Amino acid sequence: MLIALLSIVVGATILSGLVTIYIDVPRQMGAQFRSYGANMLLLPEEGASLTADSLQEALGKIPEQNMVGATPYRYVRLDMPSRQQSFISAGTDFSQVQKTSPYFSVEGAYPKDTREILVGKEIARTLDVKVGSSVELSYKTTGKAGDKASGGDKAGTVLQGSAEGFNKVIVKTDVVLDEEGKIASLEVDASSQTPGIGSLVGTDKAFLDQFIGKSLPLKLSGSQAEDGAAKDAAQEEDSTEAAAQEEGAAKDAAQEEGSTVDAVTGATISSQAVIDAINSASSSSDDVVPIENTEHFTVAGILSTGGEEEGYVYMSLKDLQRLTMDETLDAAELSVSADAEELEAYSKEISDADLGITARLVKRVTRSEASVLGKLQALVFLVTAVVLLLTMICVSTTMLAVVSERRREIGLRKALGASDGSIRKEFLGEGMFLGGLGGVFGALLGFGFAQLVSVSVFGSAITFRPLLLPVTILVSMAIAAVSCQMPIRRAVAIDPAIVLKGE
Amino acid sequence: MALLELKNVSKIYGDLKALNDVSIQVEKGEWVAIMGPSGSGKSTMMNIIGCMDKPTIGEVLLDGVDISKESQKALTDIRRDKIGLIFQQFHMVTYLTAVENVMVSQYYHSMPDEEEALEALDRVGLRERAKHLPGQLSGGEQQRVCVARALINHPELILADEPTGNLDEANENIVLDLFRQLHREGTTLIVVTHDPEVAEAAQRTIVLEHGRVAREVINENFSNQ
Repeated sequence: MLIALLSIVVGATILSGLVTIYIDVPRQMGAQFRSYGANMLLLPEEGASLTADSLQEALGKIPEQNMVGATPYRYVRLDMPSRQQSFISAGTDFSQVQKTSPYFSVEGAYPKDTREILVGKEIARTLDVKVGSSVELSYKTTGKAGDKASGGDKAGTVLQGSAEGFNKVIVKTDVVLDEEGKIASLEVDASSQTPGIGSLVGTDKAFLDQFIGKSLPLKLSGSQAEDGAAKDAAQEEDSTEAAAQEEGAAKDAAQEEGSTVDAVTGATISSQAVIDAINSASSSSDDVVPIENTEHFTVAGILSTGGEEEGYVYMSLKDLQRLTMDETLDAAELSVSADAEELEAYSKEISDADLGITARLVKRVTRSEASVLGKLQALVFLVTAVVLLLTMICVSTTMLAVVSERRREIGLRKALGASDGSIRKEFLGEGMFLGGLGGVFGALLGFGFAQLVSVSVFGSAITFRPLLLPVTILVSMAIAAVSCQMPIRRAVAIDPAIVLKGE
Repeated sequence: MALLELKNVSKIYGDLKALNDVSIQVEKGEWVAIMGPSGSGKSTMMNIIGCMDKPTIGEVLLDGVDISKESQKALTDIRRDKIGLIFQQFHMVTYLTAVENVMVSQYYHSMPDEEEALEALDRVGLRERAKHLPGQLSGGEQQRVCVARALINHPELILADEPTGNLDEANENIVLDLFRQLHREGTTLIVVTHDPEVAEAAQRTIVLEHGRVAREVINENFSNQ
């Protein structure tokens, strides 16, 4: 009898333990599977663009507790001027990368500060860079001259202009404006001006410095424009025509609002040409011009994944957006802890939400998840079934032994008038009592068992499911009842006559 | 009217005729002993009278009902309601006390009633041993508990199978005295026995040999006053 109880306890333990695991496996394994990377991809719909705002809205469709991580990506080809090479650079959020791509293996550290990058192993090898190396990266594009550029800390507007100076020779200027539209820096290429005095406009520090902090448009200070022009013209050869032009221009300029600068002594025409060039650049800032933004980055870590990621350079989204003057995203990788059906539902909800975003499941991950889960659950189911079958055999055998041990007593009871029904009831009751008792112990032990398995295999605790207690007890009782059928039949078949004549 | 009547009863196992055309009658209130050597058909006859077996041929009328035609279930009911059994081996439920063993019989018959069970034990002189387990009782005491168990439901017929076979003389006398008491109260007794002394206590002895009734002996000296 004790053996029967014990076998029911063992059976019920395995039952409740495995069922607990069976129920918990998807959750447990889900967490495990998340280490294989993202299982959902958000992409902009055709004609739409993915932005931080629309992404945020899309993420809102997924319950927070299911969200393991969401990593935005922006891919851009960047140049490395010093090596004359270029590679794909990805802007991302490193805190999220570690969640959606836990398999990333980083030598050094993930970038934390601005202007730190993570370099793919392959690139690191080609360029021979190490953690701590400095790398110059530049982004080339075309845009309006007035577009925002990455001037580093002096981020501002770049204006390129040119104007005719003395002898119709071209003066070129590069002006960077600060955010208030004031000149932050200035470079003048006047090398083709009259050597000596005329070319001074490109090198005379006193002359150039006075531009800094001034706003456009500019003009020569009045007296010089009026008085100096003629004088200059006389000093410079073959200047009558130019002087006349300059005089007119100066007069025009004087009537406009703006800052004034002093000309380089003896090079009024060239000075005026610089001013014209700057002014012309400001008025032609809608022209499309090539832009090249260059910044220095420090290598914070080297990335090895064994995949194509090793050929990328990763930097913070902020850095890349500043460098490219573009805030759109190309994609977002999501790691969501949910089963295939839920994922499907989330993806549909996001795609249907009119955010200009298409959500795609990474079938490679979700399918293998579902298939592994299915197999695991089938295995657990099978083991449970086998254990329950063994329990039934054991209980049945023990009860048979009990019946034959108690043959005399059963015979006596029958001789005393016990009907088959009451014999059946007695044994069934006894069996179900055993089953119930075994079920109680089994349910509790089973939870401990599941907990043990969960902690040692999955490394996380399991939640107690109160519903499992009555279920285990009922199932144990049912199993005991089924197991008792054969012994009961044996008991009922006992001939009461055995009690006559001592055997 | 006879309480029990066997009419031309035969029980055949293959070639063996355990009972061969036996006809007997037992009147209500009569005390009959059945004797015979091993293999004479005593046990077979006892099984049939005790509603645990059915004859191959013939009729068995118990209280006017032909039990040879009844189903197994009906036989169980009849046995429970009309017959009290006493066995050579006592047969008590080992894990139940004396009074509980008596109550088992009540349980299958109607309702367990401890007061009544204790009275029955009182009758056999074992009231003070009521809470003892069978292992704590002597053989004689156990058999007396079994007598109490047999009479608790007031059966028409008490069927005793070698009731003194395992008892010493003192206990044998105690049990026979109980039988005499039951007889005085009008209970019909059928006692199967080897023991001539036990047989002599009855009013009439039926002797079986080779499945047949060899002879019937009336006890001329029977007195039960």
